[in-house]
Amino acid sequence: MYTLLSGLYRYYTQKEKYSALILGLDNAGKTTYLEQIKTRFKKDYTGLNLNKITTTVGLNIGDIQIAGVELNFWDLGGQQELQSLWDKYYAESHAVIFVIDSSDRERMEESKQALEKVVSSDALAGVPLLLLANKQDLEGCLTAEEVKEIFSTVSPSVGQRDCLFRGVSALKGTGVDQGIHWLVERVKRLADRRPPAFGND
Amino acid sequence: MGGLLSYFSSLFGTKERRILILGLDGAGKTTILYRLQVGEVVTTIPTIGFNVETVQYKNLKFQVWDLGGQTSIRPYWRCYYSNTDAIIYVVDSMDRERIGISKQELMSMLEEEELRRAILVVFANKQDIQGCMSVTEVANSLGLSAIKNRKYQIFKTSAVKGEGLDEAMEWLSTAITQQK
Repeated sequence: MYTLLSGLYRYYTQKEKYSALILGLDNAGKTTYLEQIKTRFKKDYTGLNLNKITTTVGLNIGDIQIAGVELNFWDLGGQQELQSLWDKYYAESHAVIFVIDSSDRERMEESKQALEKVVSSDALAGVPLLLLANKQDLEGCLTAEEVKEIFSTVSPSVGQRDCLFRGVSALKGTGVDQGIHWLVERVKRLADRRPPAFGND
Repeated sequence: MGGLLSYFSSLFGTKERRILILGLDGAGKTTILYRLQVGEVVTTIPTIGFNVETVQYKNLKFQVWDLGGQTSIRPYWRCYYSNTDAIIYVVDSMDRERIGISKQELMSMLEEEELRRAILVVFANKQDIQGCMSVTEVANSLGLSAIKNRKYQIFKTSAVKGEGLDEAMEWLSTAITQQK
């Protein structure tokens, strides 16, 4: 009887759990973006000082409750030598968030190549992509439109998947919310193709 | 009463955080501990048992436990797991032969319930030696990408030269402050 009740309890309290990968070159603002998400979507969360974030050489994680599901984030280090670790997370990801530093004109090409490689992966076929032109708060950065233009050559590899392009400022938090709401709707819609895991908290 | 006292002491930020330094024998754990504590390279002998020191980094006090890494004493690591805030896992980047064993020890350690909330910092140590494994090689050989629900970071370090330790401690103190 206890087993039955606790089983029912688990059934009703468990939440669908989706995972999103945050990728992009080093210093694009991935960790800042993740901290911004946690600050905005988690109650009682005291984030890191956004100005004090250092280079990630590893993994940062975060999870939020949104729209009745649990959304889990993996923020991976973006340095060249660490990019080989990215694909280990592909199979379990339901969405990719790719962050671009709009102020770094010199590395646009490199960033584009990194994205090209990510979206060409079979393990990520059909997975929704949120493309973010970050650091829009900096003076003299490329506008979201300009970045979009540069990255338009990647669209054949992006293919038919859901893709949203947005200009954001992870530091100030502008444009962050809309992207996440879009993302969660997409992963839920694709749940039959890429089923969620179940979490119990 | 004790609870009240510890509440007040936590207000003033004097609570000591507990850190374990683990890794195979000869990885450089003791050298790292004393580098952190006195800022010098000390001559070490294989640790049988443990060294424990209090290390002050900025406004944080760490109680750092360096446990012996030999095969016969690794089973005793688990006696020290409770209340651990962070683990510094030290790898000898020159030791290609035993990196597999190092991986097994790390992975079985991470499965421990008592360490579920502990932050993981990997030190790819001995980076001063020519021909050592790169940080990516170490990360891959340790299978770090299998870690999906824990914050971790890997640093290149050279305990002998004192390189990489500062940034690692900086990161660790930020991560630990945020954890609570």
